[in-house]
Amino acid sequence: MSPLENIRISLRGLRGNKLRSSLTVLGILIGVGAVIILVAVGNGSSAAVQSQIKALGTNTVTVMSTGRFGRGPATTGTQSQSATLTAADVKLLEDPDQAPDVLSASPVVSASESATYSSATGSITVTGTTSTYMAAEGYSLEAGRNLTTSDISNHALVAVVGQTLISDLFTTGTNPIGQQIGMGSARWTIVGVLASKGSTGTTDENAVALTPYTSAEDQLTGYTASFNELIVESKNSHDVDAAEAETETILASANKTTVADLPFRLLNESSLLSTSQSTNETFTVLLGAVAAISLLVGGIGIMNIMLVTVTERTREIGIRKAIGAPKSAILSQFLTEAVILSFLGGVAGVAVGLIGSHFKIVGIKPVVSGTSIIEAFAVAIAIGVFFGFYPANRAASMRPIDALRYE
Amino acid sequence: MSAPEVPDAHLSAPQGALVDRSPTRPVIQLERIVRTYQMGDVLVHALRGVSLRVDRGEFVAIMGQSGSGKSTMMNILGCLDVPNRGRYLLDGVDVSKLDEATLARARNRKIGFVFQSFNLIPRTSALSNVELPMAYAGVRPRERLKRAKAALEMVGLGSRMHHMPNELSGGQQQRAAVARAIATNPSLILADEPTGNLDTQSSDDVMSIFSRLNEQGRTVVLITHEQEIADYCRRTIRLRDGRIIHDSADPEAQPYTPAGARWTT
Repeated sequence: MSPLENIRISLRGLRGNKLRSSLTVLGILIGVGAVIILVAVGNGSSAAVQSQIKALGTNTVTVMSTGRFGRGPATTGTQSQSATLTAADVKLLEDPDQAPDVLSASPVVSASESATYSSATGSITVTGTTSTYMAAEGYSLEAGRNLTTSDISNHALVAVVGQTLISDLFTTGTNPIGQQIGMGSARWTIVGVLASKGSTGTTDENAVALTPYTSAEDQLTGYTASFNELIVESKNSHDVDAAEAETETILASANKTTVADLPFRLLNESSLLSTSQSTNETFTVLLGAVAAISLLVGGIGIMNIMLVTVTERTREIGIRKAIGAPKSAILSQFLTEAVILSFLGGVAGVAVGLIGSHFKIVGIKPVVSGTSIIEAFAVAIAIGVFFGFYPANRAASMRPIDALRYE
Repeated sequence: MSAPEVPDAHLSAPQGALVDRSPTRPVIQLERIVRTYQMGDVLVHALRGVSLRVDRGEFVAIMGQSGSGKSTMMNILGCLDVPNRGRYLLDGVDVSKLDEATLARARNRKIGFVFQSFNLIPRTSALSNVELPMAYAGVRPRERLKRAKAALEMVGLGSRMHHMPNELSGGQQQRAAVARAIATNPSLILADEPTGNLDTQSSDDVMSIFSRLNEQGRTVVLITHEQEIADYCRRTIRLRDGRIIHDSADPEAQPYTPAGARWTT
């Protein structure tokens, strides 16, 4: 008996009870659809978090001064004061011979200030830095210009401000470029406006003002010849680790210490990304596992219905055996029926999963993964074989005289 | 329409077993067949040592009351069941000790069944029903279709071969079942109360088909409890309490002996 004939006979059996067959298919459909949609939701939320982290700038290594509380030379006492991040460090890091993978190093002098414009005020984080900071941290200009080298050297009282400050200080329609706002004791001219940037959670990335670090030291923090942080940007996202190593080497030699005793803390954004990635993978696997349970339940549905079918058609099995059907023919007939049910459920489930993934679910745009489709479909077929085998084997093992006598 | 002279290769008797290959070898040869069933605590003696020989081209009725053992006889003759003791040579092959898979092949190739309740596969056209045993035998679709159509023409169902069983009358269903039984060209056509569910007219139709098949040289064994049906046959065997009490072909050969007596051949 050819496989095609087998399928034809099985389809005839399934058509004999359309409602029951469709309900069984529905069980698998829901399982496969749920796996695809939930895995897509997991992927979607992972993609959302990753794009937020990428907005931080994944090509960057943040060097933070740990002062006396960090590891390294601080413990020896005499050297503790020398562990600072200076303009000289920036110059060394931007030297392409010493640090070929470093694109830029931006100093950060930060202060929390309240900004005023006529009677309005808004609290912001002022970041004293250089022109490279904007690109390194993933900001882009909406209007006006970036900080320039001459702003830095001239200690210019200029600022590039974020959207939150604009909405806090200015009435809609006012062009903020050229306006003067008060921060600290000085008045600063707005030269650029940053485009709105996605928030990474607790801090408002738009409540910022970027100023030359020289003028920020003059007006806001006081001159200390050291920076709070350095933002080192690598040339490529896959060079971040190399850039980090170069930064460590340069800073270690500048501070006359070893890499292991470096008095700074280095935070690699890409390592943050991979941490969040693994967290999200766990989350996705968990969602997929929950959905897989419903697929399993669908499989039990197939087994249940096939057991009923085999019992109902005992007489037919008897007739087939009497006219000489070998055990294998009966086995494959009922196994084929089970697999057809799971196959139809799998196909319909993939369709439902793909359609369902077009909608936003709990605020997350699902991202369909090709492997989840293939896996869910393959598992559905495997479930058909697995759960169909017992009923089919039961049918095949019936004794013909008992089966023929069955009423 | 002649039956194959050489037994199917798969069904050749085990080496050393006696295979009678003479042209006159019997289709059925039962030797002291005993079949008992354990029903709860009771041991039921369904067949108590039956010996019987049916030659090629015979038309035999096996008669008996219910409980006489004729259903058991039918199951054993049809390779649906195996005896506890004794030997059954079907077309020269000892089938009394075959396993389930080989028995299935024997049923498929050597026996054509006709049942009391027609037993066509539901939701399957008459034509597909007739094709089915050939499909299990691995006959090619084209050849199968040709033979199935010929068999249906032969029983007078040529115009209704695409009907489903529930669209056919009882007599038509039984004729389709006969077509299914003869399509594989079996050594033996075995009918179990073939007219039990039919009216007189349909019974006559079906019985005349059997008579015609027999005239063409086919061996037909049917089981019945109706004398009118048995009258179509050329030989009548009566069973009672698991023993043959009368055989019209040889009235003196196997007289009824009281329980406990032994058979002598």
